[in-house]
Amino acid sequence: FLARLHQRPRCPHSPAGVGKSLPERGLLLLLMVFVFLEGSVLPLGAASSPDVSHKGNVDNHQVSDVVHNHTKKAFPVLDLDYQHIQTPFEISLWVLLASLMKLGFHLIPRLSGIVPESCLLITVGLLVGGLIKLAGEEVPPVLDSRLFFLCLLPPIILDAGYFLPIRAFMDNLGTILMFAVVGTLWNAFFIGGLLYAVCQIQPANPNPLHTLELLPCLLFGSIVSAVDPVAVLAVFEEIHINELLHILVFGESLLNDAVTVVLYHLFEEYSGQGSVTVMDCFLGVLSFLVVSLGGVLVGAIYGIVAAFTSRFASHTRVIEPLFVFVYSYMAYLSAEMFHLSGIMALIACGAVMRPYVEANISHKSHTTIKYFLKMWSSVSETLIFIFLGVATVDGPHAWNWTFVTVTVILCLVARVIGVIGLTYVINQFRIVKLTTKDQFIIAYGGLRGAIAFSLGFLLDKDLFPMREMFLTAIITVIFFTVFVQGMTIKPLVELLAVKKKQEAKRSINEEIHTQFLDHLLTGIEDICGHYGHHHWKDKLNRFNKKYVKKCLIAGERSREPQLIAFYHKMEMKQAIELVESGGGVNLPTAVPSTEHPAQEASSAKPAERALPQLPKGREEEIRNILRSNLQRTRQRLRSYNRHTLVADPYEDGFGDFLLKKQKMIELEKKIKNMNNYLTVPAAPPDSPTMCRARLASDPQAYRGKPDSDNVPTIHVDLASPQSPDSVNMMDEFRQAGQQQKHQQQEEDQGLMMKPPSGQRGPKKPGEADSDRDQQKLTRCLSDPGPSADEDEDEPFLP
Amino acid sequence: MGSSSSNMNHIPDAEELMQETGFSSAHLLRLYERFEFLDREKRGELSPDDFEAVGRLALNPIGGRIIGAFFSQGQETVDFASFVRILAHFRPADTNRRDGAPQDPANSQTRKLKFAFQLYDQDGDGMISRVELLQVLRAMMGIQVTEEQLQSIAERAIQEADLDRDDAISFDEFKKSLEKVNIDHKMSIRFLR
Repeated sequence: FLARLHQRPRCPHSPAGVGKSLPERGLLLLLMVFVFLEGSVLPLGAASSPDVSHKGNVDNHQVSDVVHNHTKKAFPVLDLDYQHIQTPFEISLWVLLASLMKLGFHLIPRLSGIVPESCLLITVGLLVGGLIKLAGEEVPPVLDSRLFFLCLLPPIILDAGYFLPIRAFMDNLGTILMFAVVGTLWNAFFIGGLLYAVCQIQPANPNPLHTLELLPCLLFGSIVSAVDPVAVLAVFEEIHINELLHILVFGESLLNDAVTVVLYHLFEEYSGQGSVTVMDCFLGVLSFLVVSLGGVLVGAIYGIVAAFTSRFASHTRVIEPLFVFVYSYMAYLSAEMFHLSGIMALIACGAVMRPYVEANISHKSHTTIKYFLKMWSSVSETLIFIFLGVATVDGPHAWNWTFVTVTVILCLVARVIGVIGLTYVINQFRIVKLTTKDQFIIAYGGLRGAIAFSLGFLLDKDLFPMREMFLTAIITVIFFTVFVQGMTIKPLVELLAVKKKQEAKRSINEEIHTQFLDHLLTGIEDICGHYGHHHWKDKLNRFNKKYVKKCLIAGERSREPQLIAFYHKMEMKQAIELVESGGGVNLPTAVPSTEHPAQEASSAKPAERALPQLPKGREEEIRNILRSNLQRTRQRLRSYNRHTLVADPYEDGFGDFLLKKQKMIELEKKIKNMNNYLTVPAAPPDSPTMCRARLASDPQAYRGKPDSDNVPTIHVDLASPQSPDSVNMMDEFRQAGQQQKHQQQEEDQGLMMKPPSGQRGPKKPGEADSDRDQQKLTRCLSDPGPSADEDEDEPFLP
Repeated sequence: MGSSSSNMNHIPDAEELMQETGFSSAHLLRLYERFEFLDREKRGELSPDDFEAVGRLALNPIGGRIIGAFFSQGQETVDFASFVRILAHFRPADTNRRDGAPQDPANSQTRKLKFAFQLYDQDGDGMISRVELLQVLRAMMGIQVTEEQLQSIAERAIQEADLDRDDAISFDEFKKSLEKVNIDHKMSIRFLR
């Protein structure tokens, strides 16, 4: 550690990257200065900490007495009273350090590409801890278990739980539970048992390991076997694996908390007594059920109460986010009070509360919640890793080569065997099987983290004389998994991916058609019903719609909140686009189509099938456009990143989809408004031929064509005459189905809306339109539309 | 599933359907249950409304076309037999052919492709014209793509695939352009095995 400490300070002085600008260097320098400052301030704080303070006070009293005796004490214009603000100051200092570190890492792009952030943060923690130690002071016990479990962990878990992709989670619940419960049990017993065996067979000299009994070993095994959500999240978000794997490993890390809690308490209790009977085992199983289900129940109750509360919050929108946070935190604390699984309570609370709360709260509150959660969880995570580093430097260490190395090896081996074995069983029941590559990632991604350390820290010194050895081993395992596995998982993933995929260059046709087929297959699968599990899901959905939503969602929003929410979203987007459209739309340039006939004429004889040689860049451009824009189906290939605030592709898809339709109309409308400002009715229904013509971007086609009203059209009227538009639109949604019966489809119209015939007479021209636009604009800007936010939308029970 | 075979009696022409499409009785039963679920008004046949009740289909860029494919020319409703026949296209190909199986089963490669082709070719003239291709492209592409870009993409696609220079893609040309793609993998529902 000291060697590393010596090396580190030299880094910032050498130019770490080409072309770094002056402000960036300044910031880096500031960071380093700050770290040193922190290192020196904290000992200062420690020096005046309560242990020494009484002495200080006595000194002060003496001094002030002396002064008082001699002269009248001068009024202190400037005084230093660190005592007064010590604790909050130190806390703020730590938080500030964490945040500045996060900033700083992105200034060194090369480094952050190779080393995951968590590693860097631990290193910083080591640095700060080392500095403090060098200064000769006592390192503050920052990774205090209470602090960790009550303050640092909940934000991360809440963030994860609130934004949990429920559908993916539920689809894979069986698998996740298997990994979480059976996998953790297997790990714990395997590691604990084998460790005990190894300790017993140690060569004879009075080896301290001999004193280690079975139960403490099992306890140790259970502590060190749990996959840690914080570490997993921190590493996985950098490697961008697909959603399925992410949800598997992450879900496992969350749900194994219940198992860990039970095992921990079980072994801790019985370590004192030295033996475990069958009855105890049975009680253990019972306890597990109580802990997990109880935790979920507590969370769900709080979630429902929160949802109910939010229903009435329409008059005090400012404190809406507070309800979300406080209720969740109380759920966590309540669960912890009964020794239930706090993590599961938090997850359940967030997941249950979310759909209803989002329907009730305003758009701004929604954004606030989102950003606060992300902010807190980010800071928490950073702090945890830094503290881990500091605690490493601090903690009393008892290094025992055998114990530590055997632990590390056993952890790896147990994980691999566990995953392979479980996958074999699970694949019998899964529709989408887990491949070898998936298994590798699951096994390799089983990182340990701060939870294990904190649990070890909680151990009682008297009951467990080997506590320090345990702690050392735990820290080593954590370091190993986070550093080694964390750093190498990215290149390994890429290596595997490259090996598997022989991506030959696909022709443009292939790209288009395969995407088409994907959509087709998705559609057919939807028609067939999803994976056969639909019975209970539908029942749950129906129950939800009928009763629960009525209770928990305010007013008229409960009836068709999803549609209205989408409609609001549409409105917002339209409004924004309307505002922006004044400046024109910036589009990437395209090669004019006159190029093509010329080239085609010059192509070779048909037998040879020489394609007209487009300039190479053009072909690449086309390919890129295709690749990046073809609407992805909502399958498991989507890469998942917690921090990018992007939710289900399902919701993205819908927003995009509607936008597309809007855009087509927009374009038409823009041109029309520019040309015939005074004449034509604002929104004539267009025949399919019109639409086809429109696609060919022929502006001439936009002369209003009063056609039959029965023709199905894609039609969203921005400037519609009536103000109760929401109702109208909803009717149109419903009517859309009826219209389709009459006509064969000419276009791809997932959602069709048709102006109710006869209701729209010729409208007042021009200024009436803009009036209505204004009306609409003001309405939607003041209207609380919770899911008007384009990123986060979730069907209520997907 | 796991219901007794007495339920099979509800299904009209069950034997015949199984023979024709190759579905097992368990699958047929499951599809029948799904059919009944979709048929909310219990008329014994499905209308386009019932299909649209499948929420996610609305998001699908070609959702409307898929629904349309179930309703053959001029028909307004789909009965169970037609429902199953269409879905039979998406059965994974049989690895070993039984005797007595129809020579050109619904889930053969050609038939699958033909089904997809028909979804492109809405006017039924046997060719995917430029306009039809543009429609599909527009439906599938994100909003950032301009008309000109779409035009060039469609242009390029037709140039690549169009072997006989008639500025449209025939079924054979379509098949040829997809020869490297594993159609069975791409067009089989995984749980209908």
